[in-house]
This record gives sequence, C-alpha cells and structure tokens, in this order.
Amino acid sequence: MVLWWNTAGALDRQVDAAIRADATALVERMSVRGIPAVAAAIEDRMAVDVQNETLYLLLAPDGARLAGNLSAWPSEASGEFPWIRIPLQRDGAVSEARLFRLELGGGHRLLVGRDVAEKLRLRGLLSEGIAWAASASAAFAVLGAWLLRRSLERRLNPIYRTARAISAGDLTRRVPLSERDDEFDKLGITMNAMLDRIAQLMEGVRGVSDAIAHDLRTPIARARAKLEESLHAAHDEDSLRAAVEQGIADLDAIARVFQAVLRIAEVEAGARRAAFAPTDLAPVLADIAELYGASAEAREQHLAVDLPESLDLVGDRDLLAQAVVNLLDNALKFTPEGGTVRLSARLSEAHAEIEVADDGPGMPDADRRRAGERFFRADAARTTPGSGLGLSLVRAVASLHRGELLLRDTHPDAASPGLTATLRLPAA
Amino acid sequence: MRILLVEDDAEVARFVRKGLMEAGHTVEHAPNGRDGLFMAASEQFDVLVLDRMLPGGVDGVRLVETLRGQGNRTPVLFLSALNAVDERVKGLKAGGDDYLTKPFAFAELLARVEALGRRPAAEVPTTRLKVADLELDLLSRTVTRAGKKIDVQPREFRLLEHLMRHAGQVVTRTMLLEKVWDYHFDPQTNVIDVHVSRLRHKLDKGFDKPLIHTVRNAGYMIRAD
Amino acid sequence: MLRAGTLLLAVALCPGAGRGEQPMRVTTDSSAYCTELTQRFAAQATTMPASAVALAEEGQRLCQGGHVRTGIAKLRRALRVQQAGG
Repeated sequence: MVLWWNTAGALDRQVDAAIRADATALVERMSVRGIPAVAAAIEDRMAVDVQNETLYLLLAPDGARLAGNLSAWPSEASGEFPWIRIPLQRDGAVSEARLFRLELGGGHRLLVGRDVAEKLRLRGLLSEGIAWAASASAAFAVLGAWLLRRSLERRLNPIYRTARAISAGDLTRRVPLSERDDEFDKLGITMNAMLDRIAQLMEGVRGVSDAIAHDLRTPIARARAKLEESLHAAHDEDSLRAAVEQGIADLDAIARVFQAVLRIAEVEAGARRAAFAPTDLAPVLADIAELYGASAEAREQHLAVDLPESLDLVGDRDLLAQAVVNLLDNALKFTPEGGTVRLSARLSEAHAEIEVADDGPGMPDADRRRAGERFFRADAARTTPGSGLGLSLVRAVASLHRGELLLRDTHPDAASPGLTATLRLPAA
Repeated sequence: MRILLVEDDAEVARFVRKGLMEAGHTVEHAPNGRDGLFMAASEQFDVLVLDRMLPGGVDGVRLVETLRGQGNRTPVLFLSALNAVDERVKGLKAGGDDYLTKPFAFAELLARVEALGRRPAAEVPTTRLKVADLELDLLSRTVTRAGKKIDVQPREFRLLEHLMRHAGQVVTRTMLLEKVWDYHFDPQTNVIDVHVSRLRHKLDKGFDKPLIHTVRNAGYMIRAD
Repeated sequence: MLRAGTLLLAVALCPGAGRGEQPMRVTTDSSAYCTELTQRFAAQATTMPASAVALAEEGQRLCQGGHVRTGIAKLRRALRVQQAGG
C-alpha cells in the first residue's frame, strides 16, 4: 500500500513538476519578448513533442486562439483553482488531461498541460502488479501458515493425545517419540520423565495406603481387643492400670510402625535426594558402632568393627545412618549370646560397601528374596519384636543412593549360616 | 513457669494444659495462630508450645518468624503431625528451639518444656558442673565423685554433662539420642538404656547413694537426694 | 488501480459529464497538423541529416495512409533530429 502511494504519487508529482517548469519558461519568455514569442514557443514545443502528450492553449483577451492544440477553453479552467483535471477526446478514445492555468496579463490566458493517459496506464499496471504481488504473498503466507500449523499439529497431536488420556486417568500412557530428536522429542522426553515421576509418586502413595490398610489394622485390632478384654476382666485398679499402660505401649508401637511406613514412602519417593551432600561416613559408622557396642556387650555379644580411615560418598547422612542402625538392630536381635556381629566397611574404585555380618540362624533363599518387602517377616523372626520394616527402609535408602542391598550367608554350609547384609553404594 | 499453648485441637489442648498445670505451671491457651501471636507478643511467657499447623492464616512457623523478627527470644517447642525430616529442619530454622512429633507421650512433652524453660538465660560459660559430691570439669574433661577420679569414655562424658546441665529435670531417651548422639530417628531397641546403666554403674560403684534415677515411663534424672 | 479504473469508467460512461458541451479535443491529432509539420520541416532550409529526412518522409507517408498519430510522431522525431543537428 505504501509502495503504491509512493509510486503513484511520484508519477503525479513528476507530471505536475514538468507542467510547472514548462509554464515558468513560457512566462519568462512572455515577460521578455511578449505574447507572439510565447505563441511561437508553444508551436515549437508541440512540433517536437514525440511523446504526443503536451497540451497548450493560449487565448487572446477576445477569446481568439493564438496557439495551442486544445479545441476549446474548458469551463473547469475558469474556476478558482489553477490546477485542473479534465477528460480528453483523442482518436475516439477517452483520455485525461492535467492542466495548469496562467493569467499572462492584458487578458491573455494560457493553459499548460499534459495528457496523462500514459501515466494513468502506467499507474494501472503498477497497481495491478502490486495487487498481484500482494495477493500472491498473501496466498503464500496463508499456505505457509496452514502447512506450518498442520506440521505442528501433526507433531503435537501425540503429546496432546497422551495428555488427554492421562487427564482422563490412564497414567500408563507415554508420549511416543520420533527418531528426530528435535524440540518436540525433547518435550516428549521431558513429559515422559515427568509422568514416570508422577507414576512413581502415586505408586508410593498407593504403597503407603496399602501398608496402612493391610498391616496397621492388625496391631490396632490387637490393641483394641486387649483393652476391651481388660475392661471386662480387670477387677482392681492395678490390673486396670497395667492394661492401660499396655494399651499405650501398643499405640506407641503402632505409631512407630506408622512413622516407619511414612519414612520409607518419603525415601522411595526420592524427596530426600535434595539433602544429598558429600559425607565421610567413617565417623558416622564409628558413632553407630559405639552406640551399639554397649548393647551388644550387655547381651554378651561381641561387636567387631573394621572401618577404614574415611569413607567418602555423596548421600544423606541421616538416612544412611538409619539404614546401618537398622541392619545392626537386626543382626544383634538374631545373634545368640556369645555370638559375634561384625560391622565393616571398605572403599573400592566404584563402590563403598558397608557390611553387617552376624552368626544368627541366617535366612533361607526364599525369605531372602522377599526380605525388603514391606512387613515381610521370616517365620523364624515372628517371635522377635520388630515391625518388619527395617530391611524395607534399608532397601529404599540403598536405591535412593542408586545402590543395592545384598544378602548372603556369613558361613555357608554351617548349621547356623548367619546373615551378611551388604549395603553397596556408588563411590563419590 | 508461664506457658503459652497454641493448639487448635481442643482435646490435645485440654490434655496438655491439664498435664502442665498438674506439674505446677501456669498455662494460657490460644486456639489459633492469630490469637497466639497476639498473646505471645503482648505478654511475657517462659515457653511457647506451638502446633506446627494452625488455622487462621498464621501457622506455627510464621508465628515464630514474626516473634523472632520483633526480637522476642522466648523458647519455642513445636508440636507437629508432620514427620518429614525437612519439616523439622524448617521449624528449627524459623527460630524454633525444639520439635516434638505427634503422637507424643506427655512425659516427653513435659521434660522438653521444662528443659527449654529452665535453660540458662545467657549461655554463661561454666567450667564445672556439680551435683552433690559428683563433679564434672569441662576443661580437663574429668569426672570425680567425692574426690575420687572416675574414668569415663568421651561419649559417656557428654551423656553425663547433658544430665548434669539439666540436674533435677527429667531427660528422656529421645532427648539424649538427639542431644548426645545427634540422631533424629528412633532406633527401636534400648540402646540408650544400656549406655545410661553403664554410666550409672561407673558413678555409683562404691557409693550408697545413687545419683542417676530412672523416671518411670519418662527417662532419667540426675539429682542430689 | 481501482481509483484509476473508476475514473476511466466514469469518464467513458458519461463523456463530458458535468460540462454539457463536447469533450475537449486535441487539434494536433489531425491530418491538418501533419501538413503543418511537414511544412515546418521543409521550412528549415539548412543542412539536414539524412536520418531526419528519412523520418520526415516516413511520417508523411503514414499521414497519407491515414495513420495520423504515428505519422505525426515520426515527423516530430524528424524535427527533433533536425534541431539537434542544426
């Protein structure tokens, strides 16, 4: 549009400038040599006008034509404004004239002008060209936009479909990836990672509610039954008091199980990875050994400790400490009087290994595979106190640190093979 | 002691209030954070016991942050059903002094409240602690009873120091585990009891009067009589 | 294009609209002017370039053949060449 106005305007201005220059030259001639010279100049100019576009009309005061090639003085030229535009009859075709009126003094009137049909045609061509160019580019733009939109839609549709399926409740859906590894694939990969994480968290929540539903009910029922029984059976205040105290102890145990379940869920959800820091675990293990050494001694057990100078790794100090405590707890619980529990650690190139070995009855293969499932307790362990959550937490802590928990016999082939639990973590 | 309890659960509030009053303390109760903040800011208390999550727009952490912002240094014990480790850290970072997870035994709460309220106002650096004829020298790290030197291990020394700093007060097992061993989880077995009884054995051997007393269902206390 | 188009259309549909008289004509499009230019060319008696003469002759022929406008254009070109040469 701007181009059109500029070009068309330039054409008009060019015509007007030519007319003005022509008129000025004639006026000058008039002032020097008078009307006849002007008439002659007009005839001269018309004679060499190869383009056949100049228009003149010089009238005497009485209206007689002195020079020029217009058949009559147009009525429009008598108006107030000197510049006019009139239709022109030429060779049976209609053309247009741009004229400029001049009063030469003494009643002489002059019209100087140009036939602008050529210019109009040029302008028409130009306009047409611009119109074509504009429509063509508009068409290209529309086509391009449509193509782009279609390709975007094609690439985004799988993502969109996946998101819709997921919001409809199907959490197993994932965004299919093309092999192109472009922005859309990156978006898809990120979305899939996010979905995996959500699924994992949901799994954790489900695990907790399953555990609560399944395994907290039993101890609650047991505590309730005991309280109810003592309500009927207890006859004196002392036995009632004892029953209430037992009830409180049971509730505390339930709360502990509950806390352990939540802790495991927290660890499994990976929420604690934010607390990872470079840690030297050697002093932590020494502290734990010291804390449990006394207990072992009190039970006539021996706690052998073999720790390196330092055990550097990246992890959560508190969780690792708790994991080792759980392993030691287990080991001491199952080791008979006079037995030995060994806490050792070593650092190889790829791994830091923390090992707790006991002389207890050990664990059959089948149980070993299930150890670490929540609330699983081997038959042999049913009579010892414990929630059955200790190894679950250890396993959760190990996988949080991208490590693993390995269980094997301490003394294979022995009657009482014992159990060695190894917490193998990637080295710092 | 004058204690402000900010707790929205009426039953827990009643139980805590009754227990603290039976232990000889004065207790004011606010059912929400806004009232609690108003009372804590306008009156003088020895200890604030705050629920971590409170209705009324001002939760426990906000309340403490506001108080600390005003220069109020009253000791704060958080009560919380939130068990995550990060929550404890958040509470202590906001300016809380101790953190107790629900459900709790009242004895645990009482021991912690009294430990907070009787904390020396300014940490005057003491070099010697004394209970009856038992003396603890913090500089030379030695323990003597009636002039006789008693050999203790470093951890036992710290255990004894903690008990003596709170002489006459109940110190629970979890408090010892937190303050002496810096563990914030429950090791389930009676590891603390073993250490205390070993220490007690060392201190009382050859003397008639036991100094470390077991408080049933609560913990331990060191006292002269 | 639109503007020019409507203008031309308006002019074509109502010739001389708004004036009530005959549309303006150009007198130099006539065979009379052909003659006038031929005379003008001949009147310049000085030396004439051969190209100018050829142009003038062609113009005359066209005028006589009825192609007035092209004839006039040739004649004018001849005059221009003549002027430039002179």
